[in-house]
Amino acid sequence: MIVIDKLCYQSGLRYVNATEKFVYAMFSLLLCVLSRSVWAPLLVFTANGILTVKKGGIPLFRYIKLLLIPAGFLLVGTAAILVNISKTPLDAFAFPVGTWYITGSRASVLWGGLLCVRALAAVTCLYFLSLNTTMTDILGVLAKLHLPPLVIELMMLVYRFIFVLLETASAIMVSQESRLGNRTFGSGIRAFGGMTASLFILALRKSGALYDAMESRCYDGRIRVLPQENPAKTEEMIMIGAFEIVLAALAFLV
Amino acid sequence: MECKEKWAVEARNVTYTYEGSGRRALDDVSLKIAKGKKTAIMGENGSGKSTFFLCLNGIRRPDAGEILIDGKPIEYSRKGLLDVRRKVGIVFQEPDDQLFSASVYQEISFGIMNLGVDTDTARQEVERVIRELGIEPFQDRPAHALSGGQKKQVAIADILVMHPQVMILDEPAAALDVSHTRIVHEIIEKLTEQGITILMSTHDINYAYEWADEIILMHEGKVIRRGRAEEVCGDQTALGEAGLEEPSVLRMYRKLLERNLISRCTDPPRSLRELETML
Repeated sequence: MIVIDKLCYQSGLRYVNATEKFVYAMFSLLLCVLSRSVWAPLLVFTANGILTVKKGGIPLFRYIKLLLIPAGFLLVGTAAILVNISKTPLDAFAFPVGTWYITGSRASVLWGGLLCVRALAAVTCLYFLSLNTTMTDILGVLAKLHLPPLVIELMMLVYRFIFVLLETASAIMVSQESRLGNRTFGSGIRAFGGMTASLFILALRKSGALYDAMESRCYDGRIRVLPQENPAKTEEMIMIGAFEIVLAALAFLV
Repeated sequence: MECKEKWAVEARNVTYTYEGSGRRALDDVSLKIAKGKKTAIMGENGSGKSTFFLCLNGIRRPDAGEILIDGKPIEYSRKGLLDVRRKVGIVFQEPDDQLFSASVYQEISFGIMNLGVDTDTARQEVERVIRELGIEPFQDRPAHALSGGQKKQVAIADILVMHPQVMILDEPAAALDVSHTRIVHEIIEKLTEQGITILMSTHDINYAYEWADEIILMHEGKVIRRGRAEEVCGDQTALGEAGLEEPSVLRMYRKLLERNLISRCTDPPRSLRELETML
């Protein structure tokens, strides 16, 4: 998660209008999931790969590594569809185990394959968004979509304080390690417990201090900040529109 | 005609005790801070400086006594507090306690948006402050990727954007490296030129002596000495009580005088540079 956060600030597509990116990612995702053919997801998968790695400048190996995480889950999930245990062998493959077969039908293999490609392509949509858009920009889009302000304010504070607390936690852990806090399994557990406990207390203290600081800037229960937006470009919007139309055609007509 | 008030801030017999604490954090504090002046508040940790600051813009309400801002007592109503906080801004010691947004731009815009100005004015102001404080090179970085000094610059911008009459800086140079300390000091110098009254707590007696018009010494919630910087820094008993030492320039000057290596002048030197020119 921290890696994604670091990468998105360096992305070549960072300053592209966030709403454009959001619309592109969401529509592509939707069409992927609804698609009956395998071509639409394949197109999305390729397009996102090119956009993220080539245009965004995210290192290829990082991108592949990130994709391997959901791929692992997918394989386990689709295995249940691909593999059957029955007494008669099916048409795709069959391994005899005693008098039974571990087997699968052609239809289920195709179906499983489609599911896999679809899900992975859908994931690349989300990766495209999160690897090329900063959290602040995403929050801006959510505000435009009229998500309740309370939710957005909470997300804003949570996002900021993840890093503050993470920094504190790692500082505590370093200091524990430098005093051999993790020498044995038992002491490691105790040290971790101690770290968590002091983190809770610190979080409480910090929230108090933050509230004071916000109050002293005339905070009245509503966080109002200037929206920041990079202008949308017409040619980009046309390209996104065209892409989605092609995608819809591939998804439903082929 | 409204009479021009000379004092930016005035505290009258202010007493404050934190809940569940037997000790008074502020014990009968009375002092006046002149408009447009540079005042340093000094004292050991826990001497009540930060509590006093929080009282000055109404975050903490004194148990007894009153605080006047620009000649008017603080009203603890919603409107009154907003008015006080617009006039008196605090830059907190720990920037991580102050910066709530990951976006530098949005962070700085918070204060001015709370003043109810329209977005265009707010944008202009935010961009002006970003330029003025030299934040441009890192304005697109997230708050968690900034260095301590950069965070401090943003924290000052947070307050400056609201155009305060009084700016309070709680140990602005704490934990900063030399170059960022210099940047912060230059910013503070600029603020004074703009006519903003500056109230700063610091542990650096040499800097306070060189910079401040007035120095206030606090100890255990009480003001033990206040006056012009050269007066306070000449009072070694008071300095000792506040856990401070005489500024090194002054000490050097005194020793040089004792050995007749230098001739006495009306104003003792405030900085090493001044001493050098005297030699």
